[in-house]
Amino acid sequence: MKELISILDGNTFVVSDRRGDIEPSLDYPTGLFSFDTRFLSTWVLTLDGERLNALSVDEETSYETTYFLVPGVPSHYVDANLSVLRYRAINGSFEETLTVLNHTTSAVDLTLRIEVGSDFADLFEIKNAQRKPGGATARVAGDELLLSYRRERFHREVRVTSSAPGEVDEQGMTFHIRVEQHGEWRMRLLAQALIIGADGRDFREALPIGLDRDVEQIRAERTSFVASVPRLICDYAPLAAAYHTGVRDLGALRYQSITFGKQLIAAGLPWFMTLFGRDSIITGLQALPFLPRLLPPTIAVLAGMQGSRLDDFRDEEPGKILHELRYGELAGFEEQPHSPYYGSADSTPLFVILLDEYERWTGDQDLVRRLEPEVRAALDWIDTYGNSRGTGYLYYQTRNPRTGLPNQCWKDSPDAICYRDGRLPGFPRATCELQGYAYDAKIRAARLARDVWHDHAYAGRLEREAADLKQRFNRDFWVTDGGYYALALDADGNQVDALASNMGHLLWSGIVDVDRARSVTDHLLGPDMFTGWGVRTLAAGQARYNPLGYHVGTVWPFDNSIIAWGLWRYGMREEAGRVCAGILEAARHFQGRLPEAFAGYQRGLTNYPVQYPTACSPQAWSAGTPLLLLRVMLGLQPHDDHLVIDPDIPPGSVVSRSSTSPAGGAPSTRWDAAGRTDGTGTSGRCRQPAALARTFRAPSVAFPVRPWPDGDAHSCGRRRSSSARSRLRKNAPSAPASVPNTATEYAASTSSRTCAKVSVTRSGSPVMVVKAASCSARGRLR
Amino acid sequence: MDALVGQFFSTLQARTPQGLRSPVDGVLRVDLYTGEHTDHWVVTLRSGRPVAAPGYAEADTVWRSDAELFERLVTGESQPVAALLRNDATLSGDVELFLAFRRFFPPSPRARDPRTVGAVEPETPA
Repeated sequence: MKELISILDGNTFVVSDRRGDIEPSLDYPTGLFSFDTRFLSTWVLTLDGERLNALSVDEETSYETTYFLVPGVPSHYVDANLSVLRYRAINGSFEETLTVLNHTTSAVDLTLRIEVGSDFADLFEIKNAQRKPGGATARVAGDELLLSYRRERFHREVRVTSSAPGEVDEQGMTFHIRVEQHGEWRMRLLAQALIIGADGRDFREALPIGLDRDVEQIRAERTSFVASVPRLICDYAPLAAAYHTGVRDLGALRYQSITFGKQLIAAGLPWFMTLFGRDSIITGLQALPFLPRLLPPTIAVLAGMQGSRLDDFRDEEPGKILHELRYGELAGFEEQPHSPYYGSADSTPLFVILLDEYERWTGDQDLVRRLEPEVRAALDWIDTYGNSRGTGYLYYQTRNPRTGLPNQCWKDSPDAICYRDGRLPGFPRATCELQGYAYDAKIRAARLARDVWHDHAYAGRLEREAADLKQRFNRDFWVTDGGYYALALDADGNQVDALASNMGHLLWSGIVDVDRARSVTDHLLGPDMFTGWGVRTLAAGQARYNPLGYHVGTVWPFDNSIIAWGLWRYGMREEAGRVCAGILEAARHFQGRLPEAFAGYQRGLTNYPVQYPTACSPQAWSAGTPLLLLRVMLGLQPHDDHLVIDPDIPPGSVVSRSSTSPAGGAPSTRWDAAGRTDGTGTSGRCRQPAALARTFRAPSVAFPVRPWPDGDAHSCGRRRSSSARSRLRKNAPSAPASVPNTATEYAASTSSRTCAKVSVTRSGSPVMVVKAASCSARGRLR
Repeated sequence: MDALVGQFFSTLQARTPQGLRSPVDGVLRVDLYTGEHTDHWVVTLRSGRPVAAPGYAEADTVWRSDAELFERLVTGESQPVAALLRNDATLSGDVELFLAFRRFFPPSPRARDPRTVGAVEPETPA
């Protein structure tokens, strides 16, 4: 496949070849896209009738690019006499500045032409290789080229203008130019993508959202976004690069929702540049400790769009959280169900989980109070429409066989849910992780009910239901002869007995019986599942296993981040560290940018992770993965108003260095265990981000008992005895003698095999310093 | 056909879906045109409880479409977000308010409850 270059800002993006040219493609989304419509499908530059060749491409930032081009094929013997710089940026619209440089001692006359065309394809027409019946029209209006598409009242338009005078025709623009000796000629082209609403105006003018931002605004906004995220300084280059890239990509994938005028995160380039329930929730969970402000808009939009009626076409039911929202022609004319589509069985319990996790990190009880009706409706959905077999398990089955999704869990490809022997079950299906999410949602909602809504009866009911679910689940899903949980139950309640990575999500949810966690862990880290880079979606040895199978053998970074989180929850820190290290080592081979998925080959076979052919990149939950891995390795956990730090950094992956001062040499503030600074700063409080600020606002870092001593995460927040809680509180501010007096030392001494120091410092912006240190001492505070 | 729309607005209170009463406040105006003629309805939401009356008022959110489309919404035949996407309706102002109002529209008339849908046998391998 030809290498493609993408730039994006929110859900507007351009995909072109290495020359910057766009040529019509029927099956891959090349072109200028905005709100799921292709606005440019042809954009080809010629000089004196010839195509140009790329010398290099500057891809430093995601919203702008410069292509360095020359006519002809450059060689060692023939120097190029001319070169062309093609600078482009996405700013709601698309702009391109062309600079022609003359390297000779005489003036040249040239004909420069840009071919312009649009098919106004809906993204799904490209995905499904369909063609739309109607055609686009082109019109020359003075200096402008107007391409437009109408279907009834649906109207899209792209308006192309240039800063230099040229000849405009219906296929493009031609410029006759003269470039003086050693001179340059420059021109700017602008293509505005317009979604025409009432009165011929762009519909965005009637809503509280912006239409265009200039590049300077984007640059400033991106810079401030990155600056607001804790800066990570660490010795371990793969983690540093992956974290930095992940944060940057999350910044780029934010887009302005046309429904709310709020910033949401698009799921992934190029197919998923829109709101997905599941993806936005998982990304939010990953990013929460570092980027809490991403969350309220996402939560608000998911709540606002919660299902309210029965609708087979959209697989909608009251209380259900959406799967996918699209803005294109096919959604509008109901040829595709994404207005929005509700075909996912996990987004509803995940929504409840996200809201609880958000409150734990931020203390924002107002939002929890405001969303009480939505959360209750979501929990009701789990017990009613979701429990479609009446067996107390979450099942899914589309009521839209034509355009609905057969598999409504994250593994949504047709063959993902299978028996060990390769057979596919009928419908409905109850995959195991759905039950784990439902369990966790009830446990977490019980906490919210008790602490925020003060409805103790409801809290008690939810806990009883969760306990019952856990008991039944461990009876019905456990594959006795294999020592693992079945991937799913079929319609008759029989086990769909493939060995798959979904088990790792069960660890995260807490539904796994403690005495089974070891067996599950051994499978996840065993040779059939763990490649050395990460855990495969489906174990080798299962009939459908294929290292290049989308959900039946590849390794998904996001999946692994949840698995690592699950291993951490059950105290399997060494195993969690191995998963973290494997994924971060893989990230190194992708220059820090984790793709959606990579091949499930054994690490020793290739020495580098093999890219999955059509993987999306950047993808939000892959970008969020390094953040969650960092959380797992540092053992970060909010606990009341404290932040528990209990690091366990995998050995071998972190290179030991002696220096402990943060990079940049700026004065830093280090918090000690009592929340005091060491005097170099002026304040003991971290201003940004809110989550870290809050956790350090309290007089201390909490001194953790090893997390989840009984293997149940919620014991820490809720079920731990009140005496244990008060002990934590009592001890915290006074910094007893046995407690080291800086966060740094604390971390080093409490970890087990750990070789890490953590401190949170401030030098303008918050900095997390993860340093390797040899530590033989092994301390448990109690 | 006005009767259907009138009936919808006069029964809003009773239509409030159980458990879906979001505590939203605001004024929504619905402008429904038939040819040159436009009817106006004003819905005031107080903590999610609706009061509707015919007439014109300044509003936080304005929905505008032809009356026929709105009739298909109040019978569940059509869906408002899709109508907005194909530009058969326009919305201005506070969208959140409209999303709360959207919950009063009835189910699609042919929709099935998932609990009543029969299981599908696995495909037999070729």
